[in-house]
Amino acid sequence: MASLRTRLFLGAFVWMLAMAAVANVIAFLFVGPVLHNYAGRYIIVNRVTGGNEVRHIQHLLAMTSGALLLVAAGLWLIRKSLAPFNEMRNRLAAVRDGSEHTIPGNYPSEVQPLVNDLNALLDDRERAITRALATAGDLAHGLKTPLAILAQEAERAKVAGDSERATIIEQQVERMRRQIDYHLAHARATASAGAAPGVRSQVATSVEGLTRTLQRLYADRGLTIDTDVAPEHYVRVKREDLDEMLGNLLDNACKYAQSRITVTSRQSELAGIVIIDDDGPGLDPSMHTAVLQRGVRADEAAPGSGLGLAIVRDLASLYNGSITLGTSPAGGLRARLELPV
Amino acid sequence: MRILVVEDEAALSRQLASALADAGYAVDCATDGERADELVEIEQYDAIILDLGLPKIDGLTLLRRWREAGMSSPVLILTARASWHEKVQGIDVGADDYVAKPFRMEEVLARLRALIRRASGQLNPELRCGPLVLDARLSKVTVDGNSVRLTSHEFRVLSYLMHHRGRVVSQAELTEHIYAQDFNRDSNTVEVFIARLRRKVGAGIIETVRGLGYRIAS
Repeated sequence: MASLRTRLFLGAFVWMLAMAAVANVIAFLFVGPVLHNYAGRYIIVNRVTGGNEVRHIQHLLAMTSGALLLVAAGLWLIRKSLAPFNEMRNRLAAVRDGSEHTIPGNYPSEVQPLVNDLNALLDDRERAITRALATAGDLAHGLKTPLAILAQEAERAKVAGDSERATIIEQQVERMRRQIDYHLAHARATASAGAAPGVRSQVATSVEGLTRTLQRLYADRGLTIDTDVAPEHYVRVKREDLDEMLGNLLDNACKYAQSRITVTSRQSELAGIVIIDDDGPGLDPSMHTAVLQRGVRADEAAPGSGLGLAIVRDLASLYNGSITLGTSPAGGLRARLELPV
Repeated sequence: MRILVVEDEAALSRQLASALADAGYAVDCATDGERADELVEIEQYDAIILDLGLPKIDGLTLLRRWREAGMSSPVLILTARASWHEKVQGIDVGADDYVAKPFRMEEVLARLRALIRRASGQLNPELRCGPLVLDARLSKVTVDGNSVRLTSHEFRVLSYLMHHRGRVVSQAELTEHIYAQDFNRDSNTVEVFIARLRRKVGAGIIETVRGLGYRIAS
């Protein structure tokens, strides 16, 4: 790729020529022009200052078109020498919306070092996010084992007759667990929604894995999970986050279903939609939006409810998707998850 | 019933071991992956409680290795890693159940009972043999509806035989499943337990198969 300096120099040179041509035209038209009757037709004749030379209209036309051509060429050259910056802006936007990792391509020798520095910065940023995420994960997991020990001590205190103290410990342990789960899921999704390059995940893979898992976890319930998910349905969400959203929704369905859960997927040009229906008691329609409302903080929700849905709600919105609740054909709950494709 | 607890945090390991022992299980503990691997090689466990973040060999690698080697004991993963992606991984590697920390001991015990029951192909928590009913959930034994008081060792012997009804269980196998690893074993005591059990639940229920061991008819 030619260097920026060469291009700018060429552009400036062509512009100079263009300006000379324009000056020539102006001089022709305004410095001493005479309207002359020539064999019944009027033509512009100019006696160039200080000389006797006569210039005709053909000369004027040639000069004007030459000037226009040179102006256009100059503009094109300058535009072209600035093009790498526009290109860079577009690539940077792609990095921001997550479809690119770094800024690819070759740039003029004056711009390339800048691009390299920017890529190094992006790399650093990604490494920092990965490190921070690993630290958040370690912190979360490191806290849970001590919490488990505390919870067992609470149970022992209860057996020993100190149920008041046991209850307080249990409640606080539960609160801490919720805080950890919620913020860990949040940290992961914030990091991946922003930094994951062009990730796409197959809906069917997640649904099948989760179905296998839930069949095991709820083995004693004898539930039937019907899935109707086309293998060509993909969404622009990281696998872990898709698993987390669908896992929480399916787990919820398994908890409340009597015997049957149905998972279906649809896809349009803009969005992939997964619908999870159960045949449980469902929710009162007035509650459909209430349980998903913002401001209902996950860690303040009642034990055993809400946290899963709050995680799904927040993850979906981080990806510019949405979750809505309704009534399933069997009278249970219908959860509808919409995600970008 | 013999359980292996693989957990690197000593306090939690102790709590689990004591709750399991109270529930009538023989318990071995391993605090790292290598030790767990050794124990699984030499012992036949009725269930394994497995933490994932372990020193030396991590839990998932361990489980994958066991399953590839054909180890069929039910495994319950008990871990701090609670995301759904991690749960799917755990189940796909060969776990039978997955409980996230912190947990309720009752829940772990209930899930363990269900795993052992399913592994022995029985879906009802009550095991029945003629007038004898053993409720694994409540650790309760009744004959003709009258409850029978058993010591924990007696209960373990009866429960193991009931879970493997119709099969001859050798004395060595019984010993292995009722005592913890480091316990001083003595196969003579099995005879003592069988004799006491016969007195308590009726003489005809436990058959002696000469030279091979004991059996409860299915």
